[in-house]
Amino acid sequence: MKITILNGNPDSENTGFDGYLFNLRTRLSEADNDVTELVLRDMDIQYCLGCFGCWIETPGECIVKDDSAMVCRQMINSDLVLCTSPIIMGFPSALLKKMLDKVIPLIHPYFVIDQGEYHHKARYKRYPLLGAIWEKSGNTDDRDIEIVNEIHSRTALNFKSRLAVTCTTDDSLKEVADEISRL
Amino acid sequence: MKLAAFNGSPKGKEGNTEIFIRQFAEGFQSVEGSTAVRYYLNRTAEHENFRDAFSKTDAVLLAFPLYTDSMPGLVKAFIETLEPLCGREGNPTICFLVQSGFPEGTHSRYVEKYLEKLASRLGCPYAGTIVKGNGGGITTQPPFIQRKIFAGVRELGRSFGGNEPFDQEELDKLASPERYPWWMVPIVAMRDVTFINLLYWAAALRKNGVYKKRSARPYVE
Repeated sequence: MKITILNGNPDSENTGFDGYLFNLRTRLSEADNDVTELVLRDMDIQYCLGCFGCWIETPGECIVKDDSAMVCRQMINSDLVLCTSPIIMGFPSALLKKMLDKVIPLIHPYFVIDQGEYHHKARYKRYPLLGAIWEKSGNTDDRDIEIVNEIHSRTALNFKSRLAVTCTTDDSLKEVADEISRL
Repeated sequence: MKLAAFNGSPKGKEGNTEIFIRQFAEGFQSVEGSTAVRYYLNRTAEHENFRDAFSKTDAVLLAFPLYTDSMPGLVKAFIETLEPLCGREGNPTICFLVQSGFPEGTHSRYVEKYLEKLASRLGCPYAGTIVKGNGGGITTQPPFIQRKIFAGVRELGRSFGGNEPFDQEELDKLASPERYPWWMVPIVAMRDVTFINLLYWAAALRKNGVYKKRSARPYVE
């Protein structure tokens, strides 16, 4: 399985989080997965401007030339994309959100009705499954994780996918790797 | 009472969020002695100054367009700067406005849960969240519909300025339709969706000379 890990840790001194992902990546690679980790803090990703240029000027590509194009290419050619981040103020980092705002070139501007609601049409024939790995901070509680997972389930729905894995760094690497291998 | 209205649209003054904020602020300022100041979160270098404004005001409106099912990244960046204010005594009363391009209110209900929890995390009294669908189409609505929507937003601003709870009926009207009833879904799919796709998206693609590339898949390997 081709797996992309979006590392949304904004703090290079938070070595515990990066170490967890390193060990997970190692374990998943040993199980014959093709794993790529993209460390978003080391990339040039600009905020989405909401201009819709990626839909109506250069369809399928952001008009701002930054590293989000490479991330989008990597994502759409994966089987599973793991969104990962420490939880800050009850939500994944602004760094990860900034990138997720920039995945809209991967869908089509046209609307369709899906599950009885307005959503956008698919641009690609297939989309990767989504997964989420969060690191709880001091004041993160179970309700925060529940809310964040609900929101990312919606993101998955808009991304023509489903949120197939949800865990926290409190879960053992073996449990997380096993859950991924069952997909 | 002093209102600090934070505009979380990446388009700043040019976006639709601004239109709703102006209406809300007008209602707020109709209460005697009330003032409102607007801050633009797309000026990301000023977030720390904006945090000071947040800490010194009586009331806050944080308004933004829905981006991939929650707040735009730059709004999350601002929220992160508020961390030192968590639990501080005297934090302002807060309310939120989420406007989305989808017509149904339901799309914004997930982030609404986060916003309510955020208010509690900050220790800010929570006045509620105004959800408005079809925010992107506000400028193209017929004037009589615009007037109705704006009157509703102004009324909510007035009640916030008067320390009164939001009127649930007004909130529901602005968020309507929450979802389309099952029997309307085929009609909406045939009529409204086709209408928007042809008259808005296809027209914009044609105008830019890229209609034939509308379904391009540049990243297929």
